[in-house]
Parts: sequence; C-alpha cells; structure tokens
Amino acid sequence: MANLNLTLKVWRQENAQAQGRIETYKAKNIPDEASFLEMLDIVNEELVHEGKEPIHFDHDCREGICGMCSLTINGVPHGGKKVTTCQLHMRQFKDGDTIWIEPFRAAAFPLLRDLVVDRTALDKIIAAGGFVDVRTGAAPNANNMPVRKKTADAAFDAAACIGCGACVASCKNSAAMLFTSAKAAHLNLLPQGQPEKNKRVLAMVRQMDALGFGNCTNLYECEAACPKGISVDNIAKLNRDYMIACAAEAVGVFA
Amino acid sequence: MNDIITTACKFVTSSIGRKILVALTGACLLLFLVGHLAGNMTIFGGDVAAGDRSWIDFYATGLHSMPAWLLWSIRLGLLAVALVHIVLALVLKYENYNARTHYQKEGTLKATLSSRTMVLTGLMVFCFIVFHLWQLTFNGDPANCYQHILHAFQQPVCSIFYIIAILCLMMHVRHGLQSVLQTVGLSTRKVRPLYNIVSWAFAIVVCGAFISIPVCVMLGILK
Amino acid sequence: MKEIKFPVSDYMPDSCIPEGPIAEKWTKYKREAKLINPNNRRKYTVLIVGTGLAGGSAAATLAELGYNVKCFCYQDSPRRAHSIAAQGGVNAAHNYQNDGDSVYRLFYDTVKGGDFRAREANVYRLAEVSCNIINQCVAQGVPFGREYGGLLDNRSFGGSQLKRTFYSRGQTGQQLLLGCYQAMEKEIGKGHIEMYPRTEMMDLVVVDGHAKGIVVRDMVTGEIKSYAGDTVLLATGGYGRVFFLSTNAMGCNVGAACACWKKGAYFANPCFTQIHPTCIPVKGDYQSKLTLMSESLRNDGRIWVPKSREVAAKIRRGEMKPSDVAENDRDYYLERKYPSFGNLAPRDISSRAAKEACDDERGVANTGRGVFLDFKDAIDRMGKEWIDGQYGNLFEMYEEITDVDPHEQPMMIYPASHYTMGGLWVDYNLMSSIPGLHVLGEANFSDHGANRLGASALMQGLSDGYFVIPATLPTYLTTQKPGTITTAAPEFIEAEEAVKARIQKMMDVKGTKTPDEIHRELGKLVWEDVGMGRTKESLMDAIEKIPAIRDEFWNNVKVVGSTEGMNQELEKAWRVAAFLDFAEVLCYDALNREESCGAHFRLEHQLADGEAKRDDANFAYVACWEYKGTGELPVLHKEPLTFDTVHLAIRSYK
Repeated sequence: MANLNLTLKVWRQENAQAQGRIETYKAKNIPDEASFLEMLDIVNEELVHEGKEPIHFDHDCREGICGMCSLTINGVPHGGKKVTTCQLHMRQFKDGDTIWIEPFRAAAFPLLRDLVVDRTALDKIIAAGGFVDVRTGAAPNANNMPVRKKTADAAFDAAACIGCGACVASCKNSAAMLFTSAKAAHLNLLPQGQPEKNKRVLAMVRQMDALGFGNCTNLYECEAACPKGISVDNIAKLNRDYMIACAAEAVGVFA
Repeated sequence: MNDIITTACKFVTSSIGRKILVALTGACLLLFLVGHLAGNMTIFGGDVAAGDRSWIDFYATGLHSMPAWLLWSIRLGLLAVALVHIVLALVLKYENYNARTHYQKEGTLKATLSSRTMVLTGLMVFCFIVFHLWQLTFNGDPANCYQHILHAFQQPVCSIFYIIAILCLMMHVRHGLQSVLQTVGLSTRKVRPLYNIVSWAFAIVVCGAFISIPVCVMLGILK
Repeated sequence: MKEIKFPVSDYMPDSCIPEGPIAEKWTKYKREAKLINPNNRRKYTVLIVGTGLAGGSAAATLAELGYNVKCFCYQDSPRRAHSIAAQGGVNAAHNYQNDGDSVYRLFYDTVKGGDFRAREANVYRLAEVSCNIINQCVAQGVPFGREYGGLLDNRSFGGSQLKRTFYSRGQTGQQLLLGCYQAMEKEIGKGHIEMYPRTEMMDLVVVDGHAKGIVVRDMVTGEIKSYAGDTVLLATGGYGRVFFLSTNAMGCNVGAACACWKKGAYFANPCFTQIHPTCIPVKGDYQSKLTLMSESLRNDGRIWVPKSREVAAKIRRGEMKPSDVAENDRDYYLERKYPSFGNLAPRDISSRAAKEACDDERGVANTGRGVFLDFKDAIDRMGKEWIDGQYGNLFEMYEEITDVDPHEQPMMIYPASHYTMGGLWVDYNLMSSIPGLHVLGEANFSDHGANRLGASALMQGLSDGYFVIPATLPTYLTTQKPGTITTAAPEFIEAEEAVKARIQKMMDVKGTKTPDEIHRELGKLVWEDVGMGRTKESLMDAIEKIPAIRDEFWNNVKVVGSTEGMNQELEKAWRVAAFLDFAEVLCYDALNREESCGAHFRLEHQLADGEAKRDDANFAYVACWEYKGTGELPVLHKEPLTFDTVHLAIRSYK
C-alpha cells in the first residue's frame, strides 16, 4: 500500500447562475486503496477544517449500481476505466498526477452546484415510454410466457444500464442515444414489451429530441465510457425500430 | 394520407430520421463515387484508343451524348441528394454544438479523428466538388477530355489540392460507410469490426484510385 | 453496574389481525375490506416518502388505482434508492423447481429464520403474495434468469433447503427497482404522481392525532416547505448507518423514521439489526462504506480460516499466500459446526462464527478481521467458465476493489451491518401507532422477526407496496374526509419553524468537528458495543457514551456553508443528529431483551454449544418504544407474539 500526493483541478460553481471556474487543490497522503470518492472525502474533510466549503458531488450507494455518482475525470466520464467513479480506485493514478475533475456536462444536464448536475431529463425519457403498461395485480403466471434464454440475456444486458448519464457526458454531441436505446431495447426485445413496441419507440425518441440532447454521429464514445458495458448495438436496434415504428404509424398499423 | 404526411414530417425533423436521411444520401453519394471512379479509370486506357480518340474521351462524349433531359435529371438528382446530405448534416451539427457545454479538459476514449472531423472533411470535399465541376465539367470539352485532365494535373498546385481533397474524402468515407450501416440499423457487435475493415478497404481502394490519376500525371506515366 | 428500569405501559394499539385460520386471514381481510369508489380516489392525496421497492411500488400502484400521489426522495431520481443494490434475489413460493415448496413452507422458513419473533399473520400474507410479485415483475419486463427452455430459473439462498429464489444475475434489486421505477415513471408521465426528487423529509406533521403532512427540505434551494395529504406512507428504509460503516448507501438515514418516532410512532425491536456475513473487510479509517459480496457466493464458496494462529499471523503479514495453506491446516468452520447447512447457514450464524474465528486471532486481512471465501474447489469441479457465468460480475467487482483475483486467491470477507429488521411498529394494515402514518418495507418492523433470510427483503418491500398497502389503505382513508387539511394549518407552520430552528441551531454551533467525524465516532462505539455480540456491560457502556457524543455534536459540530442553496454538509449534519437521537433506543432495546434470538445475540444468553438461547416465556413479544424526550427513557409497550400455527422450537441449523 502506498500513499499518493495529487494535484486536483476541480470545477467550482456556487449555483446554477454563478460563474464557474477551475480551482486547484492538493490531495495529500491519499491511500491508493481508497476509492476516488473517498479521496474527495478526505480533501473535503480538510477543506471543512479550514472553514471552506467542501466540493459538492453526487454519490450514494458507492458500489457502482445506483448511478448517482458522476464526475468527468481528465475529460472522461467516470475516468474511462469501465467502472463508475465510486468504484474507481486511486491505484489507477500515480504519485504527483494532476487530475481534472469536472461535472457531467451537457446542455440537457443543467449544473446545480460544483460537480452536481440535474439529470432528470433521463427520467423524462422513461416517463414518455420506457415501461410496460401493466396494471399491478393483473399479471398472468410468470411461467405462462416462456422467453428464450438468449433473448432474456440480451434484454438483461441492455437493462443493466444504471442511468448515470456518462453516455451523454462523454458524447461529443451530448446525445442520449445509448441511454434511450438501451431502455427501449430491454423492453423491445422481450415478448412482454411487444404490444407497445412501436408506441414506445416513437414516444421515447420524440421525448429525447424535445429535451435538447444532441444527435448521434456514431462516434461510439458512449460505449467506451459506459461503466456497465452497454453496447451501441442498442443504438442500431433503436434506429431500426424507429424506422419500422414510423412506417407503422404512417400507414396506421397501430393507432 | 394525413397520417403519412404527419409521420413523414415528424420523421424528417427527428434526430434519428434526419440521421437516416444523411446516411441514405451518403450511401447514394458513395454509389456515385464508385460510378464516377469507374469512368475515370478509363484514363488509364491511354492517349489513343480507337483511331485518334482516347478511352476517356469516348466515355466523356458518351455521357454528354445522353438526351439532355436524362443528363440534367441525373445532375439535378445528384445535386438534390448532395444538398440534403450537406444541409441536414450541418443542421445536426449545429444542434449538436448547442447541446454541448464544453469541458476545460477534453478527453477522448474511442472516437476516431475521422469520426470527429466529418463536417470539416465534408466541407472540404464540398469546396473541392465546386472547383472540380468548374474546372472539368463546365469548362471542359468532352471530346478533348484526356488532354484537359493532363493539363490540369500538370500544375502541381492543382494536383496537390486534388490529392488533399481526396484524402479528406477518404477520411469522410472511412467513417461514413460503417456509420451508414449503423444508422440504418444493420450493425451489431459481431459485424462491426468487419464493417470497419470494409470501410477502410473501400476508402483506401476508391480514394487511392482517384489519387493515382494526378500522381501518374505528375510522374509522367500518363502523358 | 447501574440498573435501568424501563417504564412499561399496559397500553398497546390493536394489531388488527383478522380472525380465522392463518391461511384464510388475508383472503378474509380482502373480502371484507372497505373500498373507495374510483371517482373518489383522486380526492385523496397520498404522500409517499422514499422510492425504493416499497415506496416505488406503492406509488405506482396507488397512482394506477387513481389516488393523487405525491412522492419524495432525497436522490436525484427515484431509480437510485438503495433497493437497487440488492444482489442476490427475491423469494417466492412458486415451486417451479418441484422441490416441495409451498406458501406454508416459505411462511414457516421465514418465521423460523426470524427466530420466532415475527408476527405469524404478516409473514403468512407475505408468503401468500410472493408469487404475485414474481408474476407482476415478469409482466413488467424484469429480465429474470431463465433456463434454456425459456422458463424461470431459481437458485437456493442462505437459510433455505430448496430453490425458490428468482434472480437477475447479481443485480436482482436493480432490475426489480427499475421495474417499479418504470411503473412509477409511467404514472408520472400520465400526471398521476407528482415526483419530488432531491427532497428530504425533515418532519412529520400530526394534526389532531393524525399524520396529515410532512415538512421537507428542498436540497437544491434549501427551502423548507410542507405538503399536506390525507395519509403519509413512509418507505425510507433502515437505520443500518447508525454503525457508520455499513452496506447501506451514503444517504441512507433514520431521519424520517426518527422524526415520526418523536411525533409518537412506536419504534419496534430496534435491536434487531442484521450483520451480513459476506462483505469486503475494512481497509482503513478513511473508508466510507463496506461493499457486500452477494450471499449467493456461499453456494459455491467455502469459508475457512487457518487452524492455527501462527499461520493466520503469517497471512496477515503477507508472508504466506492463502492458496499455500495446506488442506489440513484449514478450518472450514461452518461446515464443521453446521454439517447440514454448512456454508449456507443463516446470516446471523455465519456472521457470529466469523467473529468468533477472528476473536480467536485466526482472522486474516491486515486488520485481522477477515475470513476466506474460497472458490478453488468449485473451480476445480465445475471449471472457470461456469464460475464466471454464475458470479462473473461479483468476481470482477471484488478484483476492482481489492486488486486480488478471486480465481487465484480466496476472497476475504467479514460481516458488516446490512439490514435492520426493527423499524416503526405497524399493525396488519401497515399503519403505525399514529393514525394515518403507514410504514412500508425495511422502515417497518413487521415480517422478519429477529433475523431476515436472504432474498426476503425484496419480497417484503414489493409485497407491502404492490399488494398490501393498496388493499389496506382504504381501511384508514374511508374514515377520513379527503382534503380537509391544508398546509395553512398551524401545525404545519409550527413544524416548519421547528425544523428551521433546529437547522439554525446546528449551523450556529461553529465548532471544530465535521459531521462525518462525529458519525464515525458514534458508529465505532455502536459497532463495538451493540454489534454482533452484546453484553449488559457493553450496552451500558454505549448508553453512557452516546449522550456524550450527542453533546459533542450540539456543542462542537462544524457545519460550513449556508442554509440556502445546496449544502451537503448540512444534509450530513441533519442525518447524524437523527442517528444520535436514535442510537440510545437501539441500546435500550438490546439491553431490555435479556435473551438471544436471531441477529440479537447477548453473550450472557447462549446454549452450551454457543447457540442463541431464546427466552420465549419472557420475551415472545414485540418491544415497542415510545419516545419521551431525547435523553429520557422511552416507554416500553409490548405486543405479545402468539404462535398458533408454527410451534416454537429451537432454531437449529446443524
């Protein structure tokens, strides 16, 4: 076990309206077994002792599943190691490193404070159609509808999305295609999702467009930044499903 | 009927719809590129083919001897395709620019140079096409095509501009081809590496062939 | 030693358990329950705090039924609630595996697993609706693990001898919560739920003895606001972070439950805190949380420590690799002590056995607080691919955190605070002792008794939210005229002012210790004294020291920033203050319960072989604590537990 001394370049901004800036901090004696967020805890504890306001950042479960932690580290969301920031460990860094820490940036993610951004736009995409409209209590016996194992696995792969927004933050166009397509694919793949498939695809894509996300230009940066390995295959599938849904809507296959 | 129009309008204003249009027009332009290249390759038929006419002169006069309505339909069609491709791409780019707030320190994991410079290389190719049309299509004599091309490429500035433009085209096509397949939904994790190879191969072969013309002229192979 | 005599009250609210044989109680209840006309439902406003499995499923279902739902969570999205972190699975009595499962058996296992300290009727209802939960989730598109034939797969889980656990790889909680969340978002999209994320409940508003609203703090603007409703549903999870280090999320806290307790809701069995046996051991003081490795690992991993202290010391110092320890020098202590359940012994038993091994100085990890979970035999037997197919993501996660590849060297694990069976007391309707305040999921005490079996928490949260509360809520609501109370009532203004004053008081201390430092201090004390093994001595020690820490907080805490705008230090301070107010009742309850049962282990009360010694004659009751002021002794109310269906027996897993 070794201890690291680091220079942090951190984005500070009091609130949505304030002018933001990069500030420099020294992180001293950071155990390399600590997680990135624990490193920030240590820095914050020191700031508070100095009477300064700590660096605000979002975090909750700290086991890589809730999707609340964000942070763009050296220009890459979650630091680009295929894990969430809370699962990024300091052994990935070297003594003397300078680390740039910025919020997840996108026009659709308004900044609230320091490194905290508002990602409710993602919830709105789900509210538009990212669900199966079944009423509680009306479900048939679970084994009445066999699902091919491969299909279930593929749906799971898409459903593993934690909704952190790294795909948007990493995208050079701030597109939300990976997020939207993953949720759509999860439900569109399963037999349970078929009755609403076209409706879902149209509603989700149109909502995504309305929220001011950019357009995908197939850079695949999202896939590389995704801590859960969500594949851009989902995007291809969404494009396909969207064409079919538009055709269906145009000729009135579903009303 | 109304439904069709409403949906069509929604399609062409949606992000995916416009991407698909850019992809499909791009695919058309790729096909045109192949056709155009095939024609151009007749230049390697040499100066004199049958009688005192070169192959490329035959080809050029052949094109021009098409009925005017057909020739102009093809030309206007191509123009329309190109305009849709360019205008929609620029609109998407503008939206993308507005959707972003910029990092103080930028980082990139996977996005290639060619994928990030599509608008730049595209505009470069566009400028080149305008020049190319002015130089060879509207100021040339189809019956004397071979000599006209030879003269043009014997000026190093012209050749270098041509080569740079084609290199931009190569980058554009490299990302463009596999991007078309992704956008129209024909891509998966398994075939994507193959698409990448095919895109590279296509870009190198097609653009290499185009570039071979000025290079051969400058090296004196074609004279 | 000082003796504490708890004031005992004879009064106990009715637990409202329907008459009749156990298997018919719920059916009878539903048949006779009051109903509300669909057109009238929208006149009722339901305030739901928390959006985990219990809160989320309740919000979605009640909104579908037509109630006017307002929902609050402290996270930035309802999808982030900590239910998402549950890895293993969810139980149901479908008997898809044909291994003899039934509602009765699930009920029996749960009552026995809870060491006979749960209410029979509630547990039976839980087992009864368990199948509906799976049906519902599958219909929502939850991608459960499947067999090649396309039907659902099951695995077995700690404390169970059959396969009844449905799972989605190692992310079952996530997938179930996303199902709820999607159902919620559907209703949000339709305008049936008003969602308030980044909003923390600060206090409960009680008007004329009924819970009619809440005071919240908008965590973005800092504004203190109140909301009025016809009933309040509390689904705010457990209080595991009273130990500071736990598997809970950083934001999990007892604030809302503690506020309700102070307003008159009884806190039931707070000493029943579950310590999960398979967590990654503590690394250092800077550590913020402990990571759980799914219990499912115990299906194929073998738990051991070296037989000799010398070997253990060598491993601790890094002079010897665990894989080099000869088979004869290893003590597979669970297999040795509990031959029939072996490595799958229930959580409390496994945890305590790990502690015993470490107390015996045979622990590993640099702190000496760790035991091995070894997959070598399973890899040799089934192959690496098979193991990766079962546990791939867990292995990766372990390696990411510890930098050790569990294929090569055994994992190191140690127990950590995980789940709290105790919670606010509720009756069969899930209503607390304050009329109108309903409590769901981990926040209530009802179904797990003294110990929760693996894969039962998800089941309970969803059962409460999807099936129980929609059926029981009208029982209360039909007694109320909808919309009579507004936030203009003096009680609301009073509560808001009290919250503002408390915040101001915290900000004004301007001391030298950060909220986290004080929380850590409290956590260490509670973990040492009220953790896995409790004695009268240790409990008295904690009871003595907690007020000192509380005083330190109110005299020496340093909360920087302002009350306006986002202030995460203030959020922390508020939550720590609640833990400090609550911690004593946890000790009091543990002190009062002079027996060992389930997760509550009093060293004074054990059988000759070290097993828990229950005292059914004196302690077969739910201990409900009524708040009488901070620093004052709470009043004890007792709800006797009767076991008409299951016979009280010694819980043996040998």
